[in-house]
Amino acid sequence: MLNYVMKRGLMALLVALTVSFGTFALFHFATDPAQTIAGEDAPQEMVDDIREQYGFDRPVSVQYLDWLGSTLQGDFGQSYFWKQPVVDLIQEHAKVTVLLALAGLSVTILIALPLGISAALKPNSWVDRFALSTAVSAQAIPNFWLGLMLIILFAVMFPIFPVSGDATWKHYVLPAFVLGASSVPAVMRLTRTGLLDVLSSDYIRTAKAKGFMGYRLILQQAMRNALLPIVSVLAVQLGHKLGGSVVTESVFSMNGLGRLAVESIFNSDIPTVQSLILIFVLTFVLLTLAADLINAWLDPRIRMG
Amino acid sequence: MQTRTPVPLSTRLLSVLVASFLPLVASADTSADASEGKSGDTLVVAFEKPLTTVDRLYSIQREGLILSRLTDDGLFYVNPDTLEFEPLAAESYRWVNSTQLEVTVRDDVVFHDGSPMTADDVVYTFEWVLDEDSDTSRGAVIQSWLESVEKVGNRTVRFNLHLPYPMALRDMAISIPVRKKGTYDGAEGMDNAAEDRPLNGIGPYRIKEFSAGREIVVERFEDYYQASPKANPAIETMVFRVIPDQGTQQAELLSGGIDMMMGVPPDVADNISHLPGVVRREGNDIRIGYITLDAAGHSNPDSPFTKLKVRQAINHAINREEITRYLVRGSAEVVPYACHPRQFGCNSDGPTYPYNPEKAKQLLEEAGYPDGFSFKLWAYREKIIAEAVVSDLKAIGLDVDLRFVKLNVFAKVRNDKDMEAFFASYGSGGTADASASTGVHFAANSARNYTDDKELAETVLAAERTIDPDERKRLYNKALTRIAEQAYWVPMFSYSQNYLLSPGLEFEVPKDGVPRFWQASWSDK
Repeated sequence: MLNYVMKRGLMALLVALTVSFGTFALFHFATDPAQTIAGEDAPQEMVDDIREQYGFDRPVSVQYLDWLGSTLQGDFGQSYFWKQPVVDLIQEHAKVTVLLALAGLSVTILIALPLGISAALKPNSWVDRFALSTAVSAQAIPNFWLGLMLIILFAVMFPIFPVSGDATWKHYVLPAFVLGASSVPAVMRLTRTGLLDVLSSDYIRTAKAKGFMGYRLILQQAMRNALLPIVSVLAVQLGHKLGGSVVTESVFSMNGLGRLAVESIFNSDIPTVQSLILIFVLTFVLLTLAADLINAWLDPRIRMG
Repeated sequence: MQTRTPVPLSTRLLSVLVASFLPLVASADTSADASEGKSGDTLVVAFEKPLTTVDRLYSIQREGLILSRLTDDGLFYVNPDTLEFEPLAAESYRWVNSTQLEVTVRDDVVFHDGSPMTADDVVYTFEWVLDEDSDTSRGAVIQSWLESVEKVGNRTVRFNLHLPYPMALRDMAISIPVRKKGTYDGAEGMDNAAEDRPLNGIGPYRIKEFSAGREIVVERFEDYYQASPKANPAIETMVFRVIPDQGTQQAELLSGGIDMMMGVPPDVADNISHLPGVVRREGNDIRIGYITLDAAGHSNPDSPFTKLKVRQAINHAINREEITRYLVRGSAEVVPYACHPRQFGCNSDGPTYPYNPEKAKQLLEEAGYPDGFSFKLWAYREKIIAEAVVSDLKAIGLDVDLRFVKLNVFAKVRNDKDMEAFFASYGSGGTADASASTGVHFAANSARNYTDDKELAETVLAAERTIDPDERKRLYNKALTRIAEQAYWVPMFSYSQNYLLSPGLEFEVPKDGVPRFWQASWSDK
């Protein structure tokens, strides 16, 4: 198992390095960071001064190695745009994103699992059809549209929740629902299909013969196996929510990592973008690894190889 | 022709949704909610972009300029009515000669910490900006014309210039707020400018709270000097909330979360202003739109744009009147020359190019392109206008490939001088002087100069280094006439601004695109 973890960790590092170099090179070949930092209407003297001040006049390879050297020593550098250490920036914005992602994941679990279980218990019934229709609808609705609809309904017409910001728990309700709803179809379908498979298996028949019925049969016997693919998907969905809540954060004006990433890209804030990409890549890999480990714990056959 | 200005999909969608939900919104009486508390002493404004620091010396952002006019004063300021530069923290000034400016500072100005402003503070401020290690945002520009600054009397400061520079007052008004002596002691540059540190300005408002990327709260400074034209602002507290998405801003406006939206696209303004609880204001902006043609052949030595008749054909081919009337709309006007008509010196005896596609075709034929040619037109904003331009050019037989990209990509290609033609805009930093536009686009060292016209560059430089207003006007006339004769540009239009306000908010739309919030007030009506 240790070998497996180390191998995955090394792969993660290689992926992160490749992506970071690609991003770095793209930034330098496709954009003019000095002009972007100076602003749209900046006079030439200002642009030239920034180019020299930030070292953009040096070869790209030198700049990359410089960044890599600092990063490997734990120094993520200074944000060109925010003029703050990148570590501080990320720490500040990560709080919002982690809270939002966990809240979103909770929404997904709270909606998708009961729906999926209900649909699997009564296939082809109205419950099943309702669950599948919900999944199709949720899949068809774009995030930003749902966000705007919720804002109009619950913040403008019936002002129950705030429109934007992240100051209180109330600010998280609508965005968490939007973020969570996007993952409902995948998780619900997987739950339904997985549970249907498991329910028709021999060991469930045996369990029923032993007297397991109702929720005890579902939760104690069937779900343990049906959960295997769901855990993997939830891990990936959490990764998506941590790294990809850009639209939701923008619509609800939440100061999370997604919005930080977008602003950093548009402002050519290279140290911040580089660090965020590194974090996003590592997050995905670590979450996938965590999912594998949980699966191994849930299913002893995986541990046995 | 009925067309629409491009806005983000989410913004457009929200406008449509809100408009379609109008009866429900009205029945829910959100207008009452929206106006609730508006008679109070607080104004909440949405900023689309985050402000990274409240210190204007370290801010290059437009939002920084807007805020700075509340929290800071410079020696001079821009008169909102005339757009001329007049004394503010300065009591008077005189040009000793063309390279020496003496400024007498007021004796009744106090910093937000209660200490009086002195000549020593002014000397300290400018010496800090002149210090290359201070890394102020406008340092490079100031250092290009200011050699030194010295105290020559109890209240008098002398500025020694490298060269005659008439825009010195502009830079002092817009870019250099007065700082208390010792403000930056111990700082090597301001790497941590965004840190929460108190800003000790001399403006009519002082910073109460600053949360980078979220909001800024300012409160009225009661000891502000009464002689200032900015004295006695009506509103006690102002909050600037960062809300990047314009759709969300609309929802906040309708729900009473904010009182003002700035820079609203005309379409959105049309839709939303019909709702209860929203008032629309529109007015001029000093920003202009233009197309630059690669007359020097930087992108391709054999470019058709190196030929005068081709450039003239492009000028005749674009229907600027219709584009301005139906796409830019509002107070927008066609601009005939390479500057905003409201800017000092923006006058020319050069030719203008009325819309005439037949003449454009004839000129193309005379230039040796009877069947037209292919080229790429680059743009980064107002896609629909760029598309209208492409449509007009296709009508005279040109094969135009529109390259619509983000600003940071656009700037790279443009600065590498790899564009045959590009549609862009320039706001002149709100400066009502032709130097702001011509200096950036036609000076010899500018990456935006696609003319390689040395004589033109020398004329522009001479105008920038002349104190005499009449001589400046003559030189700008000469430069702008040359640009028009050579058809280096297609000057397009001036922009119009839209503001959406809560009812009862009195606010004058600025003439230069930079809002003066100290003029805002809540009416009792």
